[in-house]
Amino acid sequence: MSADPALRFEHVTIAFPGAEGPLKVVNDVSFAVGSGQCLVIVGESGSGKSMACQALLGIVPAPGAVSGQGIFWEGRDLLKSSARDWMKVRGAEIAMVFQDPAAALNPLMPVGRQIVDVVRAHRSVTRAEAERRAIEVLNQVGFPEPERRMRAYPIELSGGLRQRVAIALALACGPKLIVADEATTNLDVSIQAQIIGLLRSLKEELGISIVFVTHDLGLAPEIGDEVLVMYAGHAVERGPVREVLDRPSHPYTIGLLNSAPTLESSRAHPLKPIPGQVPALDEIGAGAPFRSRCPVVVSGRCDSAKPDWTACGGGHFVACHRFAQDGIGGVQ
Amino acid sequence: MTAILEGRNIVKTFTTRRGGQKHEVRAVGDVTVAADRGEIVGLVGESGCGKTTFSRILIGIETASSGTVLHDGKPVATKADWKALRRDVQYVFQDPYTSLCPTMRIGEALAEPLLVHGIGDKSERAERVREALSLVGLQGFIADRLPSQLSGGQRQRVSLARALMIRPRVLICDEIVSGLDVSVQAQVLTLLTELQASLGLSLIFISHDLRVIRYLCDRVVVMYRGEIVEQGPVERVFGAPESDYTRGLLAAIPDHSRRGEPRLGLRPAGHEGARLA
Ligand SMILES: Nc1ncnc2c1ncn2[C@@H]1O[C@H](COP(=O)(O)OP(=O)(O)OP(=O)(O)O)[C@@H](O)[C@H]1O
Ligand SMILES: Nc1ncnc2c1ncn2[C@@H]1O[C@H](COP(=O)(O)OP(=O)(O)OP(=O)(O)O)[C@@H](O)[C@H]1O
Ligand SMILES: [Mg+2]
Ligand SMILES: [Mg+2]
Repeated sequence: MSADPALRFEHVTIAFPGAEGPLKVVNDVSFAVGSGQCLVIVGESGSGKSMACQALLGIVPAPGAVSGQGIFWEGRDLLKSSARDWMKVRGAEIAMVFQDPAAALNPLMPVGRQIVDVVRAHRSVTRAEAERRAIEVLNQVGFPEPERRMRAYPIELSGGLRQRVAIALALACGPKLIVADEATTNLDVSIQAQIIGLLRSLKEELGISIVFVTHDLGLAPEIGDEVLVMYAGHAVERGPVREVLDRPSHPYTIGLLNSAPTLESSRAHPLKPIPGQVPALDEIGAGAPFRSRCPVVVSGRCDSAKPDWTACGGGHFVACHRFAQDGIGGVQ
Repeated sequence: MTAILEGRNIVKTFTTRRGGQKHEVRAVGDVTVAADRGEIVGLVGESGCGKTTFSRILIGIETASSGTVLHDGKPVATKADWKALRRDVQYVFQDPYTSLCPTMRIGEALAEPLLVHGIGDKSERAERVREALSLVGLQGFIADRLPSQLSGGQRQRVSLARALMIRPRVLICDEIVSGLDVSVQAQVLTLLTELQASLGLSLIFISHDLRVIRYLCDRVVVMYRGEIVEQGPVERVFGAPESDYTRGLLAAIPDHSRRGEPRLGLRPAGHEGARLA
C-alpha cells in the first residue's frame, strides 16, 4: 500500500459543451504524485492546468463535466465521492492556492479573520488558538508584522501580500496535498524563494504532496521531482524534472524552452516564440495536438492518430510520433 | 526633450484606522520617474515597495499626498487635464480578474473604448476587435466568451488588447507577463517592442521578473520601501549595479539554464513592505 502514490489522476477528461460537440479542455490526462513528492505542471496558456487543479478539489465550474477512470486520493476515488465527502476533504486534506488571490479572499473581511474562520471550520479550537495558528502561518509565508497587519482588508495590501495571505489560507489546516496554481507568480524573487523553501520543507519533513503549476521553468528544478508538460488539453511530455529540462523531447517543450528569457537575454538576440497560434480545441480532432505548429510533423501520422507515450529512458516519456519514429535526433 | 509622462516628487501616505488607533503607511516617498516618447522604463523592487501605488497615481486612480503628475511637460491639474491624459495613457492591471466586467462578452469589452471615443462603425469595430485579439495571440472565437470562460493568461491578454484598442501613446503595465507561458510571453514582449519601434509607444513596465526587465527595458528604476535606490540604462544597472540591494535582487533570479546551483544572496524575508511613517 505504501508504494502506492498518494494521488492518482487517471485518464481524466474535462469537457464543456461547445457549438460542435464537447470541448475537451482536459483530454485523457493522467499523473500521479507520491507522498512527499512534488509534481510541476507547465504548459501553454489555456492548456487546462487550472482545470485539472480544480478537478482535484471537485470545483470545476458548471457546465464543465469531469469523467475518466478516477481521481484517487489515498485510495478513495474522489470522482465517486458525494459532494459532502469531498467537502470534508477539501480545505482539510487537500488545499488549493488559487491563481487568482482576489477570488480566494473576501474583500469585506480583514485577512486574519478569514484564516481564523477557515481554521475553526475544520478544527474544534478556540478563537484564541485559531488566531495563534493564523499568526503562525502568516509568519511562515513572510507576511510582515502579522499581529498588526492581519487586521488589514485585502484592498490595503499589495498584490504580493495578498498572494501570501492566499498561501497562508491554504496552509492553515495542515493539508496533506497542496495544489498551488501559480502561487508564486506575483512575488518578488526573495519572497518567492522563501515560499519555495517553505513548500520544500513541508514535503521533505511532513511528507506533504504538492501539485505546483507554474510558467517559470526556472522554478521547476527548485521544487519539483517530476514535471508534466501540457498543450491544448493534452499531456505531451512527463518525467523527472532534470531529465525533461536537459533532454526535452517533445517539439512543444523544445519550443517552450527556447522562448524562455534567461539571464543572458537581450534585444540583440530576440526571443523566439513558437510560431503560429494554438488551434481551437474543436480543430484538434484525432491527430497530434501540436501538429499545426510543429516543425517535424510525420505526414500521414500526426493528422490522423494521437501519439502514444514513448519511453525516453530514466522514467521520461513523450507523446510524439516523430520521437517514436526517429528518436531524439528527429525532434531536435 | 520633455517627457511624455512624469511623476515628480510623488509622496503617498495611507492612513488606516483599527479600533480607534490610527496608522500611517508611507507607501511612496518622494519618487520621480519620467518616460520619454518611445522609451520603455522598468519599475522593479520587492513586493510592497510602492510600484503599483506610484503607477496608479500616474493615471489618477489614486491621488498623491504631494507631488505632481506632468503630461507632455505640463502639470495635470484640472478634470479636463486628467481626461486628456487618459486618452493618451492606458493602464493594464496587475489583477486581470477584477478589471474585466464579468457579464460583458470579450468582444463588447474590447469594442467599448472605441464606442466611448466614437471611433469607427460597427463593422470597423468588429474588425479592430479581431485584429487586437490576434495581436495578443488569441483566436477570434474568444470574442464571444465571458471572462469567466477564459484561462488566467487568456484574460491577461484580453486586458492588454483592450488597453491597445484606442492606440495609446503610453502604456502602464503592472505585472502583465508573469502569468503567461514563456512562448506567449515572448510573443507579447515582441509585440511591445514592435509598437515601441513603429508607433513610438512609451511604456512603464512593472515586473518581478528581472530577466524580462532586462530584455525589454531601456531604463530601469529600482525601488525599495517606497524610495528609488538606483536607476539607469538596463545594461549599466544589470552589468554594474551600484547598490547592494540591486546586487541582491540580481543574484536571486531563478534560471532554468542554471544547473541546480542554489540561488545566491537571498535576503531573509520579512523586511519588505512600506516604511511605517
Ligand atoms: N466556462 C468555460 N467554457 C468553455 N471553455 C472554458 C471555460 N472555462 C475555461 N475554458 C477554457 O478551458 C481551457 C483551459 O483553461 P485553464 O484555465 O485550465 O487553462 P490554464 O492552463 O490554467 O491556462 P493559464 O496558464 O492561462 O492559466 C481554456 O482554453 C479556456 O478558454
Ligand atoms: N488602500 C491602501 N490602504 C492602506 N495601505 C495600502 C493601500 N494600498 C497599498 N497600501 C500599502 O502600500 C504599500 C505599497 O503597496 P503597492 O501595492 O504599491 O506595492 P507593490 O510594489 O505594487 O507590491 P507588489 O509587488 O506586491 O504588487 C504596501 O505596504 C501596501 O500594503
Ligand atoms: Mg491557469
Ligand atoms: Mg503591485
